[in-house]
Amino acid sequence: MNGYADFPGLEAFDRPAALIYGIGNAGREDDGLGWAAIDWLEAESLCPQAELQRHYQLHLEDADLISGKDRVLFIDATQDAAVESFRLARPEPRMDLSFTSHAISIPTILATCRTCFRRLPEVHVLAIRGYAWGLRTGLTPGAQRNLAQAIATVTARRAPPSPS
Amino acid sequence: MSKKLVIDPITRIEGHGKVVVYLDDNHRVTDARVHVVEFRGFEKFVQGHPFWEAPMLLQRACGICFVSHHLSGAKTLDDMIGVGRRSGSGLTPAAEKMRRLGHFAQMLQSHVTAYFYLVVPEMLFGMDAPPAQRNVLGLIEADPDLVKRVVALRKWGQELIKAVFGKRMHGIHSVPGGVNKNLSAAERDRFLRGEDGLLSIDEVVEFAQDGLKLFHAFHEKHRGTVDGFGVVPALNMCLVGDDGNVDYYHGKIRVVDDAKNIVREFDCHDYLDHISEAVEEWSYMKFPFLKELGREQGSVRVGPLARMNVTKSLPTPLAQAALERFHAYTKGRANNMTLHTNWARTIEVIHAAEVIRDLLLDPDLQSDRLVLTPSPAAWTGEGVGVVEAPRGTLLHHYRANPEGNITFVNLIVSTTQNNEVINRTVRSVADAYLNGQADITEGMMNAIEVGIRAYDPCFSCATHALGQMPLQVSVFDAAGRLIDERLR
Repeated sequence: MNGYADFPGLEAFDRPAALIYGIGNAGREDDGLGWAAIDWLEAESLCPQAELQRHYQLHLEDADLISGKDRVLFIDATQDAAVESFRLARPEPRMDLSFTSHAISIPTILATCRTCFRRLPEVHVLAIRGYAWGLRTGLTPGAQRNLAQAIATVTARRAPPSPS
Repeated sequence: MSKKLVIDPITRIEGHGKVVVYLDDNHRVTDARVHVVEFRGFEKFVQGHPFWEAPMLLQRACGICFVSHHLSGAKTLDDMIGVGRRSGSGLTPAAEKMRRLGHFAQMLQSHVTAYFYLVVPEMLFGMDAPPAQRNVLGLIEADPDLVKRVVALRKWGQELIKAVFGKRMHGIHSVPGGVNKNLSAAERDRFLRGEDGLLSIDEVVEFAQDGLKLFHAFHEKHRGTVDGFGVVPALNMCLVGDDGNVDYYHGKIRVVDDAKNIVREFDCHDYLDHISEAVEEWSYMKFPFLKELGREQGSVRVGPLARMNVTKSLPTPLAQAALERFHAYTKGRANNMTLHTNWARTIEVIHAAEVIRDLLLDPDLQSDRLVLTPSPAAWTGEGVGVVEAPRGTLLHHYRANPEGNITFVNLIVSTTQNNEVINRTVRSVADAYLNGQADITEGMMNAIEVGIRAYDPCFSCATHALGQMPLQVSVFDAAGRLIDERLR
């Protein structure tokens, strides 16, 4: 599915049953993109009703967390050179064998949520292109530009009716 | 002709390493080694930083046992500023109990992770099961209700860590001389009653018994395999309190032998008088041993199995009952059966849940007396802090100059303490599974992993690693040719 077409707009996440989850590490340059997006939401007082989270990586417990939501947006940095600036996507549940006790993939979290908790929220992923991952705080200029473009896009989209 | 196989995926240890097995012309195992090939760096790059930063920096050696590093570091700082038990003053009751609360929250969470996520799939599906099934994802599909209980238990532990340390990973709570916050009555009630979708403490204690039940059921069916797998001798070491029983936060270091006689007992500040570390050119991980006994006789096992071997009793009723059955199984002698580490781990899960329940009911946690501030004249500039981390005895040792900047750091982490016994286990398993075999099957190779995994080793901690490297299992013939290799 086309993630851009499906994305309901940021204001659709301004609800208590929504979760916006920044993945990354602000101490690793552009790996901090996910957290930077959450910082921006807080600074601009956007989506004040949504639950905002920042974590280094996903854990299996996040299947439990999202099972209590009806709409979830994961924001993460990507190294994928095919992503020019950012990409919106709708991940599908899938046990993809990515599990370690340190980290787990978004599709596996979704599949775990569906299998263990017998429900699945509407999930979107905003992947923002990063370029540097060293032991340093702060985003590179390119990552800052990509973050700004991603923000402009997600805020410009209008929200459809909320899921029941 | 050499051949190369790839295992994809398996990464069920923390950090990464490499196993090499050497065979003679008859395919008999002549040696087996666990190489740890990650870079060792934390002890160096902390130097020059203000002393109070050390526990914050060094806990980042690990994403799993960061609480243990934080607490071990905090105890070291207590020494440096001249408070804590070494000075004879002790911390305030609230400070020590808050530290213990966070410590047992991590013990619960870490053991649940190691056991249910990494070990149970192997027990349920067998060592020869396809990799796609032999992991927690296979467990999710096979028994989603069990996984749901496990997730709830781990989440509860994580939330308690967050309540104590402010974050679910790499938070800050302990400060020199105490802690920076107590547990409010509202926070306490959240964990006692189970608010916000959390389990209640009674449910936690109930769920915490799942692991032991699973172990006993598996043990009943596979007694020969479990008891005969990787039986290796070693001394057993852990912290003990004044009553001679394990104390996870503070105590003397006790070492016992196979008959549970005390071989050595010493204050952690004297560790350099008792412990040496050997090095090998093929591994970044050192090999600690008791100086007077030498490396062969003086290497120790630490962690759940060692603790249950050292302690005579546990102060909580369900764990004590489980411990009595554990002790009776070896008729009072030390248990050297590697896979019984998982038995010991499940007892500690129950014990952690029970201790947390007792602590949550203790009104000292709501006290505002959190920090002792000594006079500048009490500054010693040097400290040693030891705790029983989930994986075993963890030691931090710092020195600082008069300006308070770190000049020396030494860490002896649990996995390092277990290095020799892990190598012995791999050799034992290789002997049992690979000896005389012309073809190396995945089941054989995985048996080696199972032996390593029983220790829940953290190679990242043990080498204070930056980044990760893959685990590699290689088999060489008598001519030194690579005949089998697996990467992950």
